[in-house]
Amino acid sequence: MNDSLAIQTQALTKSYGKVPALRGVDLEVKRGEVFGFLGPNGSGKTTTIRCLLDLIRPDGGTLRVLGRDPQRESVAVRAQIGYLPGELRLDEGFTVEAALRFFGRLRGNRVDWTYGRELADRLNLDLQLRIKNLSKGNKQKVGIVQALMPRPALLLLDEPTGGLDPLMQQQVLRAIREAQANGATVFFSSHMLSEVEEIADRVGIIRRGVVVEVADPQALIDRSLRRVRVRFKQPIDLSALTQLPGVTLIDRSDGASVLLNVAGDMDQLIKTLAAYPVIEMDTERPTLEEIFLTYYADDQAEAR
Amino acid sequence: MITIMRYALLRWRGQIIGWGLALAALSLVIAPLYEAVVQQRALIEGLLQSLPPEFMVLIGNLDRIFSPAGFLEVRYFSMLPLILGVFAVIIGSGLVASDEENGTLDLILAQPVCRVELFIGRWLAFSVALIGILFITWLGLVIAIRGAALDLDGLAVAYPFIGLFGLLSWFGGLALLLSLIVPSRRLAASLSGLVLVASYFVTTLAQLSADLSGLATVSPLTYYQGGGAIEGLNAGDFLGLLLMSIVFVMIGLWLFQRRDIRIAGEGGWRLPSLIQKTQTQ
Repeated sequence: MNDSLAIQTQALTKSYGKVPALRGVDLEVKRGEVFGFLGPNGSGKTTTIRCLLDLIRPDGGTLRVLGRDPQRESVAVRAQIGYLPGELRLDEGFTVEAALRFFGRLRGNRVDWTYGRELADRLNLDLQLRIKNLSKGNKQKVGIVQALMPRPALLLLDEPTGGLDPLMQQQVLRAIREAQANGATVFFSSHMLSEVEEIADRVGIIRRGVVVEVADPQALIDRSLRRVRVRFKQPIDLSALTQLPGVTLIDRSDGASVLLNVAGDMDQLIKTLAAYPVIEMDTERPTLEEIFLTYYADDQAEAR
Repeated sequence: MITIMRYALLRWRGQIIGWGLALAALSLVIAPLYEAVVQQRALIEGLLQSLPPEFMVLIGNLDRIFSPAGFLEVRYFSMLPLILGVFAVIIGSGLVASDEENGTLDLILAQPVCRVELFIGRWLAFSVALIGILFITWLGLVIAIRGAALDLDGLAVAYPFIGLFGLLSWFGGLALLLSLIVPSRRLAASLSGLVLVASYFVTTLAQLSADLSGLATVSPLTYYQGGGAIEGLNAGDFLGLLLMSIVFVMIGLWLFQRRDIRIAGEGGWRLPSLIQKTQTQ
């Protein structure tokens, strides 16, 4: 096992009865990085996070968190983790402050109250309100503050911006960046690809309990297809273009305008186009969302 | 562990005070009746002689009602196991399962708290809550007997409460253990309540039928002295009940350490899926 890794899992498996939730998850998260964990509902994101916290026990495989075995050294591991569950439930009888104090006491008061208050202030969270009177978004803010307040070495955040308005989402992303700047590793799951694209150093895509791709978000985008629209002065012979490796003709409306799919880099296409009278050229870059959906095309087809 | 205990007790503080005051108030209502019982002794004895012995057993051996200790046994201490048994099975079954079912356990166990600490902390809080309720109830009874014509020592009337603590620990322990085996806290509480009522009938009816004496030996209420402890606590019975409750708790702890923590609303067992299967077939 590698100590430069904050999280390392190998062939992690977990089933609920006969339903396999994890079917051999291999994952490596480096210390100090922000790692986005993507996948639709039921793909195994939450199960993976709960295994890391020793809330559930895997059926097979190995896992290390911050260099330790979370089953054997669960307290030591969790002392260094800030966790935000996807389905956050808090004791309704507490005020916000009492809830935060309770979690602080469970940590032996090793929490940064000044930072906690600052976070609550930035998130417009009133510490005197009762949990039972809070909206879903405000409860989420309590969860975020309790996760970040101990300034942990590892943040496990399951859908951290769920239920928050766009302004508050930005505040949470800012807090995650701050945690990273202070040396924390952030492992977070999300459906919101725009935020993953915005803050993640790397993303892992999980599909049916298996991690199918790990890459940096930009590399994923760069590696994927681009859509190129070219308008020429007059209709041209396109054979020189379509023979290029990775280039596919999608549409040729009047011979003077073409729509191409380009896999990989654009170098050869641009050099070839230089020989033709080009009026204009547009390139559409796929969003991370479009790339993400290509991994689940089979699932969606099956669902239909 | 102190934090776990403290917060559990904070959560139950209303119940501790409420149950304690209600039972103390009950003693304040019942104790003054002793004077009337003594005054009407001849009349009541005449009535009792006309009753069949089975009826006498079922309504609580009223022939013992004329001594202060017997009066408290029949009119007060015989009722307490059933009344406080409800508290014991509800709180006992929810010590871990209620937080698990409402989803708050996930975040608690994501803190640097080991499962043993949480489990034992909650159990100790339950024991302290029982002691709190019994203490308030005892205080109320002491005040009641001082104000009534019951010539009893305040310390002596504490002994039945010690025995009751053993009995309630037994039921709380059973409810806790069942909550870790059956799919829901509610089912665990219902089953424990069923054992409580069954135990009451078995122990009571065993006085009438020798056929039930064997079954009565495994009934926890058989080892509860009730008001009889005013004349001396049977430490063996008390410790036996307490020891059994510790056995339940230890088995529960062993199960808790090995199980997956469920997410809020998640069912725990195969039974619901079996029912669904048979319905869809």
